[in-house]
Amino acid sequence: MKKVININFQGQVIAIEEAAYELLKQYIDSLKKYFSREEGGEEIVNDIENRIAELFGNRLKLGINCITDEDVQTIISSIGRPEDFDADYHDFDYAYGEKVSLQQVAATEQPNDESAENAKQRTLYRNKNDKIIAGVCSGLAHYFKIDPVWMRIAFVILFSVLFWVYLILWIVLKPETLETNVAKRLYRNPNDRFLGGVCGGIAAYFKIDAWIPRLLFAAPLFLNLMGMISIPFFPWNKFFDDVDFNWSINMSVIVIYVVLWVIIPRANTVKQKLEMMGEEEYIKSIRETVSDNIANVKSKADGGDNYTKSYLATGIADNSEKIIVDSMPPEPPRHQTPKAYVNTTASSGNSGCLSVLGIFLKIIFFTFAGIFAVAMTGMLIAFLVAGTKFIPLKSLFIDQGYENTMLWLSVALLFAVPIISVIVWIIRRSMKAKSRPAIGIASIILWVVGIFSATMLGFKIAEKFSVESSTENVQALSTFNGDKLYVDMSNYPSDYYLFSSGFGPGTDLDNFPYYTINEDSLLFSNIKLQIVQSQDSLYHVRTISSSSGKNLKIAKRNTEQFTYPLQQQDSLLLLPEFFSTPISQGFRMQGMIVEIAIPTGKKIEIDERLDDYDNFTTNSSVRRKLKKSRNSKAFDWDYGEEYILENGDLNKTVILTDSI
Amino acid sequence: MNIENTQSQMRKGVLEYCILAIIRRNEAYPGDIIDEMKNAGLQLLEGTLYPLLNRLKNAEILTYRWVESTSGPPRKYFMLTQKGEKFYELLESTWTELSTGIDAVIKGNYKKEENKPNNNTKQ
Repeated sequence: MKKVININFQGQVIAIEEAAYELLKQYIDSLKKYFSREEGGEEIVNDIENRIAELFGNRLKLGINCITDEDVQTIISSIGRPEDFDADYHDFDYAYGEKVSLQQVAATEQPNDESAENAKQRTLYRNKNDKIIAGVCSGLAHYFKIDPVWMRIAFVILFSVLFWVYLILWIVLKPETLETNVAKRLYRNPNDRFLGGVCGGIAAYFKIDAWIPRLLFAAPLFLNLMGMISIPFFPWNKFFDDVDFNWSINMSVIVIYVVLWVIIPRANTVKQKLEMMGEEEYIKSIRETVSDNIANVKSKADGGDNYTKSYLATGIADNSEKIIVDSMPPEPPRHQTPKAYVNTTASSGNSGCLSVLGIFLKIIFFTFAGIFAVAMTGMLIAFLVAGTKFIPLKSLFIDQGYENTMLWLSVALLFAVPIISVIVWIIRRSMKAKSRPAIGIASIILWVVGIFSATMLGFKIAEKFSVESSTENVQALSTFNGDKLYVDMSNYPSDYYLFSSGFGPGTDLDNFPYYTINEDSLLFSNIKLQIVQSQDSLYHVRTISSSSGKNLKIAKRNTEQFTYPLQQQDSLLLLPEFFSTPISQGFRMQGMIVEIAIPTGKKIEIDERLDDYDNFTTNSSVRRKLKKSRNSKAFDWDYGEEYILENGDLNKTVILTDSI
Repeated sequence: MNIENTQSQMRKGVLEYCILAIIRRNEAYPGDIIDEMKNAGLQLLEGTLYPLLNRLKNAEILTYRWVESTSGPPRKYFMLTQKGEKFYELLESTWTELSTGIDAVIKGNYKKEENKPNNNTKQ
């Protein structure tokens, strides 16, 4: 059983076996590909199509039912396949008046063209045929042989990262007309649509019912609306308590839908519908409607189209096995004619939802992209300027040697490469030099190397903070007369300088360690001061030094190198302003806890100057240590107040005297 | 040395001349040209004719007009331009030169004139 279809070919209605049609289509595609390199190639193909149409017409006039495989084969062999006239034809590549020896042409041109043919498969282009903005995603998808939609989704999601990639590829890649090379694609389904056919298309793609994606899209909106409505006596919106009308969720659903609407092309032609549904499904749906259509076809035949009439008269009567597919059920009768292919290149065709909306969105996109590009450039400059401020901090994170090299490599590649390549592109454009994809590809590779190196460096730095450790040190204070310990701060005796980020006061960056005057040590004020109950009748000071490091050994060694000299003058305890570490440690989240243990019945006062301490720790090892060793809890207290420890509690002495 | 290659090279050289000759006699559409060539016993792959016509047209040697056809799509009827006329004349003289010359070479007629090489082709 062979299926026969009617096609509109160059204005002729031709009855043709489906297999023959496929053959014809392939052949014309191959011609198109072949002649696309030539000026006026489309016209040539059009001429050939005209000729084929004429030959078909002659054939049908002889009274046969339809064009068969063999007819097409005969015509193809009389016209010749591209590979047949390859040799013949290329030598005509003469410029009139210019003398080129045939041999030379044959020697140089031919291999080039063959490789060009292959190269089109292998190299990256922008796809003119299927594009939303510049065809970059589509070209990439063609290169990796995947559905362009996924590529677009990736670019939308990772917009911030891939923006530059897109821009660079747009600049670098040459546009080219590419045919799809995936069998199944996600399309918007025009036959099953509520708004844009996005859900219908998704349903067709995953072979599920259309209400499933629709529900997924509508549910958040619906739930939120339900939550908004309150009915008296039946406060059912209580059920939706935790789904407040949440604009961010609703907006994101809408945004997702609109984005999909834009980036998923509409299935316009039969070929695209086949790709959307998978061939079997589609043919099934055709078969279901065929019986209805036969009646249609008949009435149409009476209408007077000669070809259809004669075809039907013979076709139906003689061969009831044949399924006649005249008007494709969900589609106007025009099977995609080869002629239509030519035109798809000119119109941007299947992109965008409504072309007006498409244009509108494009304008919006370009506006935003422009603003974004300016902002990105501004930020880039800001980063570079601000970056110089961080140079003194660099050594705290980055070792000399290869890490340092890696840093500069990353900076150079990440920032300099895009800037230089844009400049180069502008210069080359203004000088009208031929576009050279090699330059673009090289700069992309360099940029990717930059990303790689920066990521590696990031890991290297993160590794230095991977292990935390701490060291504990307990010191008993010598006994003194009186029952009150006064705790004060001793200023750092010599000058030091501090880092200022210049980003306004009070940023975290300003808590970075200070340098000693001869830059041999770092000074930290990252100290947490707390008071606990002493186990005996003496005051004790416990210091817990904490640090991160690449491994436990290094972290531990770091903590042992802290310097924090206590001074006791009778009842006066002086705590240093900073603890210091050798500069070679770098910044490793060093911190310290100073715990003053006070015996029962004794008093303590902590001077307000110690408020300079940061009172901050995140070191988990320290927290573990505190939890393990603490018998009594750390008390709450304020600076500049006198406290007495009584009955296991720290009380203000002032309040006591007042109450008496 | 590939015989087919040589053969096709030989044919190729005169193809353009033949086509122009046919068109010069009477304006013709590609179908005519192919038929005439076939009738004359000259093999021609149609696929090579179209690009050739297109190039000749682009070089302003040919021009065409559309003519409605009863048996199919409208046809392009080609004719020579003035430039084409001159081009054809040049080709023609070259061809006469070549054919007589080659004839002479093959038959060995030129041997007698060995000392007057300039006259070779004018015999």
